[in-house]
Amino acid sequence: MPPPSRLRPARRTSFARRDSNLALLGALFAGVVLAFALLLLLLQRVNPELGGRMRGATADALSPIMSVARAPVEGIRRIGSAIGAHRNVVAENRRLKAELEKAQAQVAESGKLAAEVKRMDALLGLRRPERRLVASAVASALSAGAGQRQAIISAGLSDGVRPRMPVIAAEGLAGRVTDVGQAAARVMLLTDSDSRVPVKVLRTGWTGLAVGTGGTLMDFQFDIASGTDKIRVGDRLVTSGDGGLYPPGLPVGVIIDAESNPPRARPLANPTGLGAVMVEAPWLTSPALVPVAPAPGEPDRPVAPAPAATAAVTPPAGAAAAAAQGTATAGTPPRASTAPAPAAAPALRP
Amino acid sequence: MTAFPRRATDRGETARRMVPAGTVFLALLLMALPLPLAWGVMPNVALLLVILWASIQPRLLPVWGAFLLGLFADLLFGGPIGIWALLFAAAVVAVRLFEAWAEGHTLPFDWAFASLAATLAHLIAWQMLHFLDFSAPLTPFLVQAALTALAYPAVAALAARIQLRLTVSAD
Repeated sequence: MPPPSRLRPARRTSFARRDSNLALLGALFAGVVLAFALLLLLLQRVNPELGGRMRGATADALSPIMSVARAPVEGIRRIGSAIGAHRNVVAENRRLKAELEKAQAQVAESGKLAAEVKRMDALLGLRRPERRLVASAVASALSAGAGQRQAIISAGLSDGVRPRMPVIAAEGLAGRVTDVGQAAARVMLLTDSDSRVPVKVLRTGWTGLAVGTGGTLMDFQFDIASGTDKIRVGDRLVTSGDGGLYPPGLPVGVIIDAESNPPRARPLANPTGLGAVMVEAPWLTSPALVPVAPAPGEPDRPVAPAPAATAAVTPPAGAAAAAAQGTATAGTPPRASTAPAPAAAPALRP
Repeated sequence: MTAFPRRATDRGETARRMVPAGTVFLALLLMALPLPLAWGVMPNVALLLVILWASIQPRLLPVWGAFLLGLFADLLFGGPIGIWALLFAAAVVAVRLFEAWAEGHTLPFDWAFASLAATLAHLIAWQMLHFLDFSAPLTPFLVQAALTALAYPAVAALAARIQLRLTVSAD
């Protein structure tokens, strides 16, 4: 006869008292476990950083598993998109040819503008912060919870990745690093409900925030700038550079529902098929402050006697110049409204 | 047909005891795969398995086991640590209480209980996230709870098959 298995349902024994004691002990133990879980949650309420290191460590452990498990999913996705691409290849070809002709004219124009901007920058002595690549990695999204929208990337602390760094995919901005492990890191995707990205509408120049919804889309929250224009379906959102974290001009999303309030946008970098991504350093480094005496007040210069018309014009012009100087010294990033086409922005300048 | 050696060696027995927890573990990994899903959520198979195993094999999924699995889930999903640890453990306790109260099992009855438990668990998870200063919209949680309820029969069938195999190989 084989030894009794513990898998069988327990037989009723006559040791009823012992059983009830055990049951009581079990209930007590269960209570302790539940209390411990509650304690964990309370501790994190007090100190939200508590879980960060552990999450980084799981990212480390998960990264190899994910890269293996990702392969078939990625393959199926590619097959799907390949079939989709083949179905309307002729119409697509015609459309692309027409677009190409238009684009070539625009490229010539934007080349001219870029040269102009460069010349102006040199004239002004404008310091444009440069984007700095920290690491390249492969990303794998996690589709698990209803609460978070995250991905794991295969670069971590040893590659110089730190929390807060922007993560950029081929199609556009993917998100930013939240927790870091030794060789892997967690990325908060654009669709996470905690994600806020300062963006602007490429066509109108309106600025706002792309706010994750926790689903597959983003809300575009913005202040109405003018009553005459409207957000349209197909409007592209690019990073505005506000906040100094994300470099300006990165493609973020495209408006797919302009009627709802706020308008809905789809992220251009598909969260489930990110593939290879770049991790960059935060665009603007926060200033290390040094104690310096404040600038002395500028004495009023005597205005040279001049014809009445110029005298009326001079003070505002002087004020404007002073304001321009003030913003330049404050280190505010320039608005990239005249910058070259944002489509060229993901390519890093050497 | 047996996945484990028929001889009830100590190792085989230990391996079998790990099976329920192992299935929950695998379900968690499956949930973390980057599948192209409509809402980006999939049914909470792990929670269903916890509920099922707590009912079928209460000894093999003790409260602390569910707690540890929930802890792993929290680390895996990248949320605050303790939410699913608490909810998995609480689910096991709830199943025990339910079993003590209701005798016998019919599919509709168990299904209703599991749906209720899953919905409650997701609502609590949502509230917990708010308590911990995460901004979490309600809709994805409701969608996941609904998907979980729909997935119950399939997961129950799977658990029943594993259970059958376990007891057969234990003989």
